Amino acid sequence: MRLPLRTFRGQLLLVFVPVLALAQLTTWYLVGRFNEHEARHQIDVSLQQAAHSFRRVVADRNAHLRTGARSAARDHQIRQLVSGDDPATLASALQSLRGTTDSSVVVILDPAGKVVASAGRGAPEPTLAPRLITLAEADDSPRPSAAGYGNFGGVLHSVVLVPVQAGSEVIAWLLIGFRIDREFASDLKRLTGSDLLFIGENGDALAGTLPDSAHAPIAAALRTTRAHSALRQITINGGASLAAFRPLLTGKDQIATLALVYSLDEKLAPSRLAGRYLALVTVGALVVAAAIALAFARSLARPIERLAAHTERIGAGDYETRVAVDRADELGRLAGAMNAMSAGLAERDRVRDLLDKNVSPEVAARLLRDGATLGGEEREVTVLFADLRGFTTLSERLTPPELLALLNRYLDRMSGAIEAHGGVIDKFIGDAIMALFGAPVTQGDAPARAIAAALAMETALAALNAELAAEGRPPLAIGVGINTARVVAGNMGSSRRLNYSVIGDGVNVAARLQALTRVADYRTNIILSAATRAAAGPAGAASRPLGTVAVKGRSEPVEIFAVDAGNVTGNNPPSQTDTPFLS
Amino acid sequence: MPRPLKRLLAILVAVPAAATAGEIRVEVRDPKGAPVADAVASLTPLDAAPAVQPPAEPVAVLQEGEEFRPHVTPVVVGTRVTFPNRDAVQHHVFSVSRAKKFDLPLYRGEPREPVLFDQPGVVSLGCNIHDWMSAYIVVLATPHFARSGDDGVALIISVPPGRHRLEVWHPRVKATLTREVTVEGAGSATQVIALTLGVDRRVRRAPEAAGSGYK
Repeated sequence: MRLPLRTFRGQLLLVFVPVLALAQLTTWYLVGRFNEHEARHQIDVSLQQAAHSFRRVVADRNAHLRTGARSAARDHQIRQLVSGDDPATLASALQSLRGTTDSSVVVILDPAGKVVASAGRGAPEPTLAPRLITLAEADDSPRPSAAGYGNFGGVLHSVVLVPVQAGSEVIAWLLIGFRIDREFASDLKRLTGSDLLFIGENGDALAGTLPDSAHAPIAAALRTTRAHSALRQITINGGASLAAFRPLLTGKDQIATLALVYSLDEKLAPSRLAGRYLALVTVGALVVAAAIALAFARSLARPIERLAAHTERIGAGDYETRVAVDRADELGRLAGAMNAMSAGLAERDRVRDLLDKNVSPEVAARLLRDGATLGGEEREVTVLFADLRGFTTLSERLTPPELLALLNRYLDRMSGAIEAHGGVIDKFIGDAIMALFGAPVTQGDAPARAIAAALAMETALAALNAELAAEGRPPLAIGVGINTARVVAGNMGSSRRLNYSVIGDGVNVAARLQALTRVADYRTNIILSAATRAAAGPAGAASRPLGTVAVKGRSEPVEIFAVDAGNVTGNNPPSQTDTPFLS
Repeated sequence: MPRPLKRLLAILVAVPAAATAGEIRVEVRDPKGAPVADAVASLTPLDAAPAVQPPAEPVAVLQEGEEFRPHVTPVVVGTRVTFPNRDAVQHHVFSVSRAKKFDLPLYRGEPREPVLFDQPGVVSLGCNIHDWMSAYIVVLATPHFARSGDDGVALIISVPPGRHRLEVWHPRVKATLTREVTVEGAGSATQVIALTLGVDRRVRRAPEAAGSGYK
């Protein structure tokens, strides 16, 4: 098992999974924060709306009671009862009014604020009447009245005060109110969705929709709340809630406080559920992403591994195997390219094989190294020409396959002898061989090598002749001409077909010298030119001078020398007069 | 005593008094100096009981254009007041004031009987049909009184010389303002009274076309 980081799979996992996890976590966090922020905002709005609804409901009911109270205040019998001295009758009249107006308390106060008669439970707290009368007297509207909050027997009420007038004279005040109790709070909760708690002046809970256990934390929050508009977070029975406070005023005096409470946990429940789902989705997505990353890495790594193995095989020289990657993507193209490369390499190998067979290894190497270029250079080269004697007669006696087999056998032996001495077969011309020494690779001892090669050829031929004799065939004879001259060497031919070869007069001279070996008087199979002899050192010095001959194309006669097998020195010089003419 | 003799006696008593009587000009102003109408100024002699003589004929307080006229009527104790209705609609004039409670249920034209105001005090009048109708009858135990007009001046004439208690009452002032003044022989003295008026408690008349206000 490789290290995770060193495999494609590991890298992909290491990149893919953390990025996805980070993205999901960030999303989760941001969505969570947004939801909480949104929930708080919604609660804020809800509580404001609840406060508004409370004010509206109270104002509506007050308006209702005010209308009823005004009607009662202008009732002639009420006026007469108010100014009379029959409080019992007045009290029962107020009881009737309480029923008619659907109110909780109805009280008649004298102009100074003293209770004259009342209906309903409890007496108003002593400060209530003076406060309301002051407010009503300050009201300069066409129909003065006052509204506020007050306690009757410890129960919070919303109250309205209207004057009872005879003409312009205020002869009494009519106070009417309804209870702000648990039932009222429950109604309002149904309307607004928010919990309510009414808190008295000294911090005690008066009425509300919340259980008693919630009262203490709310009252505690109220004690530390300065601005009534501020939203406070409180903990009720371990759950988080937001609370807003509104003062309940009579004029400028705060009678009680309305606490509006909304459970943050309740509001956040849907988004928390969504958060849990999101977490599940996150985990699922991570698993799926990891699986996809693994599958993808696998689909990528497998062909890459195959391609790597294939490359190793190519490196080892196997150009025949083809890699099979059936893909349309970059890897597919890479596989195709590698297959094409294998084919190309195989082709090059075949070409090289063919080159080796058709040109000498040296020429092939030089061609492969330098490229096949037309052109040339002038250089000193020793050219060796060898020809089979009496081949025409031989070819008449043999069948073509026999002839070709014999010829190839001969050429093979001769080639071996020449190449053994560093010669390069330039070409076979039928039964003739043209070989080069000192080209294309420069050799300092090219002439000596040529001479040695010629002698080796004689030796090889002797061996071949022995074989032929054993086969009952006539022996073969050769003539070899060697000349050293400056020639033009290079790739010759058309742009499609080239041969490395040499041209020049020196080549013709070598061919002529070879032909001279047929002259029986020379008694030699190998003839050198003076130039070769001079350049060949001891081997050249051992050659036997044959005198001079006129060579076609040459204005001056050429001095020639014979190389004799076994005794390269001290042979009889050929006759000076015998100067055959070479055609 | 035969009636002409009695009347003569009255004149004889009155004329010498009138000959030596002074007058008090009471100027009623609000704190800004604007004249205050409908204030009732009265002088009660401190050294002698005032001679109270209610008028023989009833004083009239009209109902006209669904308003009382005048708004404030000062009378001496024992005065009878009648409430003629000059409107096409009926009125129901009443009072629940301690000085005089009365009830004149719906009627048109002249009521059958005038109402006798035999107790000093302020009587607030209302109409049970029209809430905005309001008036006052100020019943005084002294014959020396006057009501301020639009110029804020209440001129009390025929006041016998001597020390008097000057009282000024106004519908929009809770407590009666009291001041001691001395009336010289036949002179005229001016008393400037500053009143701080309270809220006008008169119910304002509902505009004809208006719907019910929602407040």
